[in-house]
Amino acid sequence: MTSIFSLPERLLAGFGRGCMGFARHVGQISLLTVRIVMAILQGGVSIKMIFAQAYEQGIGSLPLVLVTAVLSGIVTSQQGGYQFSSSVPLYVLGSVVASSVVLELGPVMTAFVLIGRVGARITAEIGTMAVSEQVDALVSLGRDPVSFLAAPRVIASMVVTPILVGVANAVGVLTGLLSAQATMGLGPEGFLYGARLYWHSWDLFYSLTKAFVFGFIIPIISVHMGLITHGGAEGVGRNTTTSVVFMIISVLVVDATFPPLFLN
Amino acid sequence: MAEDVMIAYEDVHKRFDTPVLSGVSLTVVRGETISILGTSGTGKSVLLKTTIGLITPDRGDVKIDGESVYHSSRTGIRDLRRTVRYVFQYAALFDSLNIYDNVAMGLDPETIKSLDKKLMLERIATSLENVNLDPAKVLSKLPAELSGGMRKRVGLARAIVGEPRIILYDEPVTGLDPVNAATVNRLIMSIAERTKVTSIVVTHDIEGALEMSHRVALLDNGKLRFVGGPEEFRKSDDPLVMAFADRQAAARAALKLIEHETSDDDNEPGSAHAVSIGV
Repeated sequence: MTSIFSLPERLLAGFGRGCMGFARHVGQISLLTVRIVMAILQGGVSIKMIFAQAYEQGIGSLPLVLVTAVLSGIVTSQQGGYQFSSSVPLYVLGSVVASSVVLELGPVMTAFVLIGRVGARITAEIGTMAVSEQVDALVSLGRDPVSFLAAPRVIASMVVTPILVGVANAVGVLTGLLSAQATMGLGPEGFLYGARLYWHSWDLFYSLTKAFVFGFIIPIISVHMGLITHGGAEGVGRNTTTSVVFMIISVLVVDATFPPLFLN
Repeated sequence: MAEDVMIAYEDVHKRFDTPVLSGVSLTVVRGETISILGTSGTGKSVLLKTTIGLITPDRGDVKIDGESVYHSSRTGIRDLRRTVRYVFQYAALFDSLNIYDNVAMGLDPETIKSLDKKLMLERIATSLENVNLDPAKVLSKLPAELSGGMRKRVGLARAIVGEPRIILYDEPVTGLDPVNAATVNRLIMSIAERTKVTSIVVTHDIEGALEMSHRVALLDNGKLRFVGGPEEFRKSDDPLVMAFADRQAAARAALKLIEHETSDDDNEPGSAHAVSIGV
């Protein structure tokens, strides 16, 4: 059956629906954030559950974060060395590796690891609870799902993510140093001289602030997408995929807005 | 039974894509057990969920002891919810918690704080014993390690541990074999008799409903078609009520026939499997 609407009209309608859906998600996430803040202020969040989540998110993600950091450090060091080998003094490599890892690769690669390992899991877990009426059961038993499910995950992530990024930064720079020494003959003194030459203390603050924001974005989106899940196993799969897409886009958008806001 | 109304549904309307409830008004008397019957999709579970605000009606109101579920303060709603427990269709036990913690969730946080560990264990164990479960065998297990019938009974234990004034049962015997279904029905009756709790049971099990209920209500296309006692239901000349009862009779006759054929074909390979699917 052919549509009575022309292609541009249908495209415009699709765009409108997309905008409305986006606005609805933003509104619901804002409301969820307010409710989390209220739950914290009212003391309704279990410290035990925050620690359990922090352990799961932090210790559980550490091996993968370390692997990513090691590889990021090596790749940055190798590519930088290749580019600087002829015209630029090799010690500048220390600055390039330190800045790249601390300002960008450490926070962003760690965020991607957390999206895959923590965010997807949260959406699938809470989504399954929603479709199997466990969230309704919480409400019927007089428990607030926001205090019980959302707040511990968000608080734990906001604490753990900056720590993981700090570790990733240190490991990334260290493996960059070792890689430069092993393959290009740039000793630790030269590497650290270059790193210190262009180093700003602000860079570390910038990196950890970015990590803190990522640490909020990832669980808030994943919890929201979990709570609104319906439609059985198919709904859980659909919302988990959508959640991962939203988290990746949000992290990249925030990442792109940080330099003009904080580095100029 | 004296007209001491405990729950009042007042002209409740709810629409999703299509109308689900179209002006349901019903009162439930204190201490009464009422079963709500109807074909799938007629809004039975939706009506039950409006009782504690899990689904908000588009129009109308639900009152418990004269207090509106939808126009009360936050504290008022919390207090109302403390007096009501909901038994979900598939028990809705928390997967990550063991049975002890699952049943403990049926207690108020204040009660949990006030009880020492020994008293808490005693109370949880008593609840499990009241639903014919051995606490020593199940307390430390996870829900996934229990059978469907046992999970439903843990759901019942979670509902009664807090000594509620109202229990709402959402298809408590759906998915259970006849033996387990009868066990759950008997438990619902014994809980109601022992605790004098007000019970609303949404079910497809007509015989069970007629046996355990003071009254039954039949929902049809979002409206109440029949409300009355079990005898009135059996004798009703409403074509839908008769069709409902007849369909159950037909199903029982079919079951008897299958059982008879099974006993004749016991030696044939795969016959038990075929019957279990057929039933």
